[in-house]
Amino acid sequence: MNNYQLMIKADDKQVVLERILQVARYRGFLIGGINATVNTGTHIGTIELFVRSERPIELLIDQINKLVDIKEVTVENDVSQQSRA
Amino acid sequence: MVNEQTLTGGALLFDVLQQHGVQHVFGYPGGAIMPIYDALYDSDVQHFLCRHEQGAAFSAVGYARASGKVGVCLATSGPGATNLITGLADALADSIPIVAITGQVATAAMGSDAFQEIDIFGLSLACTKHSFQVTDIKDLPKVLHKAFAIALEGRQGPVLVDIPKDIQLAEITCNTLEFSELKNKVKLPPANVGRAIALLSQAKKPVLYVGGGVGMANAVDELREFAKTTGLPSVSTLKGLGAIDPQDENYLGMLGMHGTKAANMAVQECDLLIAVGARFDDRVTGKLDEFAPNAKVIHFDIDTAEINKRRFADAAILGDLKINLPALAIPLTIEDWQQQNIKRSADFAWRYDHPGENIYAPSVLKQISDKMPKNTCVTTDVGQHQMWAAQHMLFNDPSNFLTSGGMGTMGFGVPAAVGAQVSRPTDCIVAVSGDGSFMMNVQELSTIKRFQLPVKLVLLDNAKLGMVRQWQDLFFDGRLSETDLSDNPDFVMLASSFGIKAQEITKKHEVAAAVDEMLDHDGPYLLHVKIDAKDNVWPLVPPNTANDQMMESI
Repeated sequence: MNNYQLMIKADDKQVVLERILQVARYRGFLIGGINATVNTGTHIGTIELFVRSERPIELLIDQINKLVDIKEVTVENDVSQQSRA
Repeated sequence: MVNEQTLTGGALLFDVLQQHGVQHVFGYPGGAIMPIYDALYDSDVQHFLCRHEQGAAFSAVGYARASGKVGVCLATSGPGATNLITGLADALADSIPIVAITGQVATAAMGSDAFQEIDIFGLSLACTKHSFQVTDIKDLPKVLHKAFAIALEGRQGPVLVDIPKDIQLAEITCNTLEFSELKNKVKLPPANVGRAIALLSQAKKPVLYVGGGVGMANAVDELREFAKTTGLPSVSTLKGLGAIDPQDENYLGMLGMHGTKAANMAVQECDLLIAVGARFDDRVTGKLDEFAPNAKVIHFDIDTAEINKRRFADAAILGDLKINLPALAIPLTIEDWQQQNIKRSADFAWRYDHPGENIYAPSVLKQISDKMPKNTCVTTDVGQHQMWAAQHMLFNDPSNFLTSGGMGTMGFGVPAAVGAQVSRPTDCIVAVSGDGSFMMNVQELSTIKRFQLPVKLVLLDNAKLGMVRQWQDLFFDGRLSETDLSDNPDFVMLASSFGIKAQEITKKHEVAAAVDEMLDHDGPYLLHVKIDAKDNVWPLVPPNTANDQMMESI
């Protein structure tokens, strides 16, 4: 199991968090944690998402990037850690 | 251009639809969408009343696929909205641009478990490309315009707009022409043209693997020019059928689970696979690890997420096929490989010398294909008849073969034919169905009757859920579980009750005249064809098996 930390910038729109979580689950990534804040001036949200999976993280990045409200997705730690979970 | 006017939300909807060129919508009214249906009363948009919301969704899909336009469907809240979901899922799986409008309970009642309230916005997340819920009338114009833009942008797909009843009734003074560009378009990396040209130049046994993306990109001409210039042997997915000219001598037919032997052998032997608008679906690849085991891959697509999803791409060509295909169209020196495939295609050509007097479904479909007018659009349901249609009918454009590919949805064929006929009123539309699938949206015969749509219905009836029965026979020790449909209704009488002329045939010698009568008939027509319940679809690649290990009979 590889652990990843994603940083996602998104427009502050309806259900954008639900969409990200749904995509992560459906594409085979377990969610370990999430922090989300919104800049009320720019209406841009920043979501820090911790996921783990056997699958390459690029599969999830590409799918999240396709969501209409997403501005940017980056991997903060692309050094995989082995999980005992 | 300023076009300020005061409209209700309902009236605004039809104003925006007309701005996007929408002339026809498919739907079913109900309590929470009544203000929209009231506005329809004064609109120039023509509404086709279907007899189930799933029928409306599939009609919108058929309309979109046959015409290249956005299909639009309407439904009320609660069960009306949930009945759309299968159609939305089907459109998502096959990348079809539709806009679904659902009524919702008034905003004050939302979240109170009100009558016919369901969180369709939440339910839509997994079965749409995008969705909106409008809670302020000021947002409605922009949302509706965005819905069309999103449905058509990049990889196309379904968009749902949920509109509460009070928003439909609210008034707004606005410039309905205002529209802003989509902000967050996916940025595509540069196409790896140099690498792809090198791979093409070095290949000794290349194969062109054509998917549904070609038709969606409106790139049939560019693909055919690419195939002609390169001389590549080509194979097609189910949804790609019609993109390559079926008379092209280098075309080997459909690949995959029920593909031709020539197509599957060529792919298994090739050293370079050029995938164009195709996504290495499991029904295409068979056992993925053993699919085209010696091939490098050039992958053309519009969707970044398809690259390396199921098969590593040695060269990814992301972007518009109309631009990218000509960039790689170079003549190749592959005569020996071409001749090998042409010979194999001839050696394994379909045979129609089926023994006995019973009707052989592939032969019926071959005869219809040979006799139908040139620009006929064929829809299918899902099962054995679908695979036989894909194998034995020839199509000159992807918009002339509408079948539920990704989702494999039984009940697709008849309502899709309704939508296709509405979009192309002067073209012949043939719906090929099986007896299981036909009964799943049989109520849409009423839509055909109401609008006197001259759809030709070909019902291949083996009194079975044929494909499941085939798998039970082959892979479950013949333990036939819940696949018997011998209590089907009298289909001729059923069609007659909807005012649809119908005929039943049971013997081979009746086929030719019956096909002629159906195709010559001016109005809707049902040809009920009784076939042998034991006939199987061949070839068949068993599950989790390489494509060169296909079964050809038992």
